[in-house]
Amino acid sequence: MISPTDTIIELRGVTKSFGTNRVADNLDLLVQRREIVALLGQTGAGKSTVLNMVMGNIPADSGTVRVAGHDPYNEFIKLRGKMAVSFQTDRLLPWRTAVENAELGLLILGKPTAEAREIATTWLARVNLAGAENRYVHELSGGMRQRVSLARALCVDPELVLLDESFSQLDHVTSMALRADFAKLVREFGKTCLFVTHRIDDALEMADRILVLKPGAGVGLELVMTPEMRADSATVHELHDRIAGTMEGSEAGQPDLARA
Amino acid sequence: MQKVMEQSPQSATGTRPPPSSLGKVGLSRLNDIGPTLVVVAILALAMQLGSYVLPPFVMPAPLTILAATWEILSTQMSHIGVTALRLFVAVVFAMTVGVLLGVVMGVIPRVRPYLQALVIIDTGIPALSWMLLAIFWFSEPEIRIFFILSVILIPFYALNIYDAIRALPRDWVDMIESFRPHRWQVLRYLVAPHIVPAIITTTKAVIGYAIRMAIFAELVASAIGIGSRMSLAQSMFRIDLVLGWTLILVIFNLGLQALINASEKLLLKWRPETKVR
Repeated sequence: MISPTDTIIELRGVTKSFGTNRVADNLDLLVQRREIVALLGQTGAGKSTVLNMVMGNIPADSGTVRVAGHDPYNEFIKLRGKMAVSFQTDRLLPWRTAVENAELGLLILGKPTAEAREIATTWLARVNLAGAENRYVHELSGGMRQRVSLARALCVDPELVLLDESFSQLDHVTSMALRADFAKLVREFGKTCLFVTHRIDDALEMADRILVLKPGAGVGLELVMTPEMRADSATVHELHDRIAGTMEGSEAGQPDLARA
Repeated sequence: MQKVMEQSPQSATGTRPPPSSLGKVGLSRLNDIGPTLVVVAILALAMQLGSYVLPPFVMPAPLTILAATWEILSTQMSHIGVTALRLFVAVVFAMTVGVLLGVVMGVIPRVRPYLQALVIIDTGIPALSWMLLAIFWFSEPEIRIFFILSVILIPFYALNIYDAIRALPRDWVDMIESFRPHRWQVLRYLVAPHIVPAIITTTKAVIGYAIRMAIFAELVASAIGIGSRMSLAQSMFRIDLVLGWTLILVIFNLGLQALINASEKLLLKWRPETKVR
């Protein structure tokens, strides 16, 4: 049982509709501190809606959404510095260099310029971009841009990192390298991460826990991943098939807890 | 930690390509100004031929025009300075007010319809009306010219900046808002840099128009400045001086355009140039 103090994200009985389309129905979701949780689901399953509610961009129709004890929509400013987001596209500002993009969140949070620059440079080195600090966005490849985007999110030392399909637009090799680096950094620095993806591989590689959302029906499958499970290719294949089956609708009903 | 597998689009080693050689740069510049020189030569030839068959008060020879230009430059530089100063003050003021209006229209929805209506009404009033009104309203020539140029130029900046803010990508707004910024931080880190290209483009577009309006305003509302000198030359039937002033204005305009282009290269160095085949 998760104690309230360990919980950083808490959704209870959350319902959300867009017009007649109900994307979340009585959804319960808890994320513990220092946990990496993957939200998987087909298009329209509601994973981006959940992420947007956690980010505070949209309110829930009913139910409770809490992030670090605050309502992210109505207490938007109280979560300043507590969470950071990396998006599907890098969203770097073209008039800023790599290091200037990375330090943006720090400057917004009021860090002195010199200190912000030092922290951003350190984080760029951590995501393997040492030497590329002064390049403009158009001088960086897609993978490098996404690394800057991740550095920008991690720079602000947030309690919670949200990823919205952050690796989905990269080629397979770059995506693999980047997600491995990212998961290592998140664990090393004790961050909590909720990430949305439609790629099962991303979830199996990175997550401590995988939640598969079914359109309008909440969590269709919940899996807990361990390093041992990740290391066993037969287990990974089996889990991949189960997740794929749930996403395609062959496995309905109550959440299936496949805890190790 | 895994090594970076991706490469930058510029090179595999991370180094930038070597700059173009001096020879190539020189050739490129010659390619840029070559056609202009050809056009100038054709015009000079046509004027020379015209001067053989037309009376001197209709078409003076190019050398006569050059002599008149030298006369202007050696005796009437103060008028060029006055016009340049009037233009500079009015453009800077119009840019400041226009950008502020554009930003307010872009970020404060409640005020937007009123300001938009005001700016659009302003664009519908002919320049000549403003000139005549300025003569009625103000006795001081400097205020007249400043007023005329300002009311004509402000809407260009206001509307273009408003359009630039409307075109701000939603993705960037969401990204910066994910850090929970204060409103002024959104303006500082996102809106202000985003509208710089629009300010430069607007300045490039209006500078020629602003020069024409300044000359016209001086012609009707002032006793000093290039416009008033051109009016005087016309009243003395000195077409060589009129054409001399015209030549100076063309060079003045080209000089200002070059200055704006240099500022653009400096301020927008982050923007890659795309060449369409």
